[in-house]
Amino acid sequence: MNKYAIEAKNIIKDYMIGNVVNHVLRNVSIGIMPGEFSVVMGSSGSGKSTLLYVLGGLDNPTSGNVLMNGRDISQFDDTKRSIMRRKDIGFIFQFYNLIPNLNVEENILLPVLLDGKKIGNYKKQLKELLEIVNLTNKCNHKPHELSGGQQQRVAIARALINNPSIIFADEPTGNLDSKTGTSILSILKEINYEKNKTILMVTHSKEAAQYGNRMIYVRDGIVG
Amino acid sequence: MKIVLKYIINNIKDRKMRTAVMLLSIILSTTLLFVSLSIGESYSEAQKKMSRGMAGNAELSISLKSNIQDTKNLITTDVISRFSSIRHVVGIVETGALYKKDGYYENFDMIAADLTELSKINKPRLVNGGEITNFTGNIIILPERFTSKFDIEESDPFVIWINGKEYEFVVGPIAAYDTIFLRHTRGTNALVPLETLSAILGSGDGYNRLLIEPAQGLETSDLQAELNEKLPEQYTVSRIVNETQVEASAREKSLPFFLISFFSLTMSVFIIFSSYKVITLERLPVLGTFRSIGATKRTVKNILMLESFVYGGLGSLLGILIGPTILQLLLNGISNTLSQGVDIPMIISPINIIIPCAVTIFVSVLSAILPIKRASKLPVKDIILGTVEEKTVSRRKLIMMGVVVFVLSIILPCIGQCMAEKVLFLSGGLSITGLLVATIILIPIFVSGISSILERIYGATLGNEGRLAARNMRGNKNINQNITLLFISISAIIAIATVGNFIQVYIGDVFKGAKLDGFTQAPMTHQFVKKISQLDGVDEILPVHVLNNQISLDGSKLTCVECTEDIAEYADMFAMTYENERDRKQIEEVFKDGRNILMSSDCMKRLNIKVGDTVLLSLGSKSYQYFVLGSYKIRFTNKEAIIPSYCATEDFGVHNYGIVAYTSCKPDAVMVQIRDLFGNKNHWSRTVEEFNNDALGTINAFFQPMRNLTWFILILATVGIINNLLINHIQKRRTIAMYKSIGMSDSQNIIMTIIESLSVGLIGALIAMIVSWLEIRTIFLVAGPRISIRPELKLSTFLIAGALGICITLIGSVVPIIKNKNMKLVEELKFD
Repeated sequence: MNKYAIEAKNIIKDYMIGNVVNHVLRNVSIGIMPGEFSVVMGSSGSGKSTLLYVLGGLDNPTSGNVLMNGRDISQFDDTKRSIMRRKDIGFIFQFYNLIPNLNVEENILLPVLLDGKKIGNYKKQLKELLEIVNLTNKCNHKPHELSGGQQQRVAIARALINNPSIIFADEPTGNLDSKTGTSILSILKEINYEKNKTILMVTHSKEAAQYGNRMIYVRDGIVG
Repeated sequence: MKIVLKYIINNIKDRKMRTAVMLLSIILSTTLLFVSLSIGESYSEAQKKMSRGMAGNAELSISLKSNIQDTKNLITTDVISRFSSIRHVVGIVETGALYKKDGYYENFDMIAADLTELSKINKPRLVNGGEITNFTGNIIILPERFTSKFDIEESDPFVIWINGKEYEFVVGPIAAYDTIFLRHTRGTNALVPLETLSAILGSGDGYNRLLIEPAQGLETSDLQAELNEKLPEQYTVSRIVNETQVEASAREKSLPFFLISFFSLTMSVFIIFSSYKVITLERLPVLGTFRSIGATKRTVKNILMLESFVYGGLGSLLGILIGPTILQLLLNGISNTLSQGVDIPMIISPINIIIPCAVTIFVSVLSAILPIKRASKLPVKDIILGTVEEKTVSRRKLIMMGVVVFVLSIILPCIGQCMAEKVLFLSGGLSITGLLVATIILIPIFVSGISSILERIYGATLGNEGRLAARNMRGNKNINQNITLLFISISAIIAIATVGNFIQVYIGDVFKGAKLDGFTQAPMTHQFVKKISQLDGVDEILPVHVLNNQISLDGSKLTCVECTEDIAEYADMFAMTYENERDRKQIEEVFKDGRNILMSSDCMKRLNIKVGDTVLLSLGSKSYQYFVLGSYKIRFTNKEAIIPSYCATEDFGVHNYGIVAYTSCKPDAVMVQIRDLFGNKNHWSRTVEEFNNDALGTINAFFQPMRNLTWFILILATVGIINNLLINHIQKRRTIAMYKSIGMSDSQNIIMTIIESLSVGLIGALIAMIVSWLEIRTIFLVAGPRISIRPELKLSTFLIAGALGICITLIGSVVPIIKNKNMKLVEELKFD
């Protein structure tokens, strides 16, 4: 049994820009323990976000393996990856990525619907999550009727609805003012602490990084 | 400026997909508009060509007055040799002939002229595309329509009777039913060598008539006046066609093409507008960047406008270049029917090039201005941060506006019916436009409502993917845009097909609703008519006196006046309707009680006569006052007036009948007996079925371009819808990526896309069927006073068009499915 929630083994990620090969991740190996709140930091273009997307299965490594809860996700086909994304992990993006024509409640319940489950069975979880993210009175609002912080809180609730064990967050406060950013980070911290979720967050903010209990520095595609 | 141009060119070059989509939209729109405008004009020209028949470019005809002409006293070209204002003159010798095959008698007209001179005004065209050579002796050239009917081939012997005498000819190369073989009236022309026919008729150097083409730049009326003035009294100079009448008839028959242009314009505007809306919104961050580094609102506006202009200009140029090729293909088809049928001239007028170009460039620039103007009012910060939200109009306002326009559009033509014709036409145009506009306004509301219902149905039957697909349609601008384009396309096809079919029936089946089963036309005595009535199988007969080009009304010559003893029977027999049907009973009661005249609506309009007027009918030196009792509409023959038979006999000394119509349960058997009765005498006898079959060939040839154009519109609509789906795909990529990021698999995406497309197709088809029914209703309400039959709406046309729309949407979903499969998720999600 693998002890890591997420494990990267010799990850190489190259991009072609014109005819030039850009080495974004250079032989990265890393392990994230269950319940850890890890923060990936690095300067712009260091490869931190790419690492997050490769670990989260949104992108494929050029070579190397990614193990999630002991399963090698680099070998997964689209269906398996999709099931993994909706059940085992939750994603939080800098620009929220909410579906504009669905309301708060519908956005949060999307992963449940995609998982083929009845949303009626998720009423309790929904209520609980709306309370956690403090959006109980906004459940019928459309994304464009919400502030940036509120939209990000919807994204957090959506990431948690299927009770995944791991949460990936890519600059979750990057588009928010400091006060709102703090409230988002507090929620993430609370989730990590109270629900024992593994969180891997990318940020370039030192203040945000303080919320994590482990720092991972990426420089020129190498984890330092 | 250089850097701005470079930016624009790079933008166009780098974004290949978007450039392709934009250019395709503009090219399609320009081509569609160009083709629909030009085809209408070409069709009008073809109608004129058909009306001119064998006369070709000739405008005038000179012949001897009917009471003077006989075979020994013909016209020669010498009489006009001193007129310098004549470009070409062709002497025509003609006679009637009779062909018999298997008990079937066919009358046709034999024509002879100097081939070189004839070719100058109307060159005969052969099916094999070759030239007529060695045209001497007993060769006869027949049109393909005649040879195929009687199974005749080149070199076959061809025996005919002229004035009761038998002659044997040899069939020459087969001619196309075109040029000199083309006839406005029923029947067939055959071409024989001039010396052969002159010898048969003993006409020497004389001709039956001279066809005249005026010198270039000379008005026909001026030449006609000059000839009338300078030629001796015994000659009559007449116009070959009545241009006004031909124009009016061509306009009537071109209605489907006008409709096509109308729908093309709507489709073009919509396709371009929706494409530009996408790119301008997509460009908002760039706009913000420009503004943040100091560009003024004006500079930014100019950059985007210039880019729109480049797209508009380039697209319309390419569209116009492609247009003529497509027009040619549509007019003549790609099959070999061109060689056999009427060669429809391709008319490309400058206005038809300018209008599509102007429309596409104007719509391109306008479509760009509106979002840019709105964007220029936004705070720079919002644009840079991408926090711009689209302004939404209140739902209640939209519903109210849509419903009001919709209801007004429905009632407008009903109100217009009580007004003058021009007001009626205007109300019709406003009604169709209003229906389209109201539907476009109401579509988002309708889709929102119906998607709620579908959400439940799909949820129960197709699971969560179905539920999500239906839910995703609510408030989705892409979906609304797709449904709008689909509805416009389908309703265009339904309206064009229905109106086109109606006109085809209207022109082709002139006896629709008429009681008669057959008729014969020839001078017939009372005794001869009695013999017809006694033939085996004849149930009823109606003899009619016919006065062609003899009667003058207040000094104007009437083309055809018919005289009947029983106007009620006449109306039933020939499906004649009164302009004011409420007066039918009264008209039928009093018609035969005095000097009453019924006139065709067109003739009354032409001569500016009203019901209740008294007119003076004259023939030679005899003139009598007639009371205008009413007006009528009839499609068989060009009769301009009807008077009681006894008046024709007493006032104008008419005794012989010209037409006998009959009813019978076995019209074919009656026809054989009638033909036997006539023997070698000239006559024109047809059963209604035969008549319609004969007419069908010509009508099909003329309506082929319209059918082709309907298909072309369907293809364009398909491309337009797929294009729109691609635009939607560009817009939707991020949404799909969002779905994928939270666990949507490719197979779920496929299921959802298919369900969505199917729903879009169904909703679009449903809306299109309802709206096009209303549009057709408006068209016929407007056309009602001019037409004498009620249109039949075929449910199958609606259903087929709807089904095609659904298929197109499903086909169109294939590309987004493939594209979404290969999507790079990170690229789509990472940046806003």
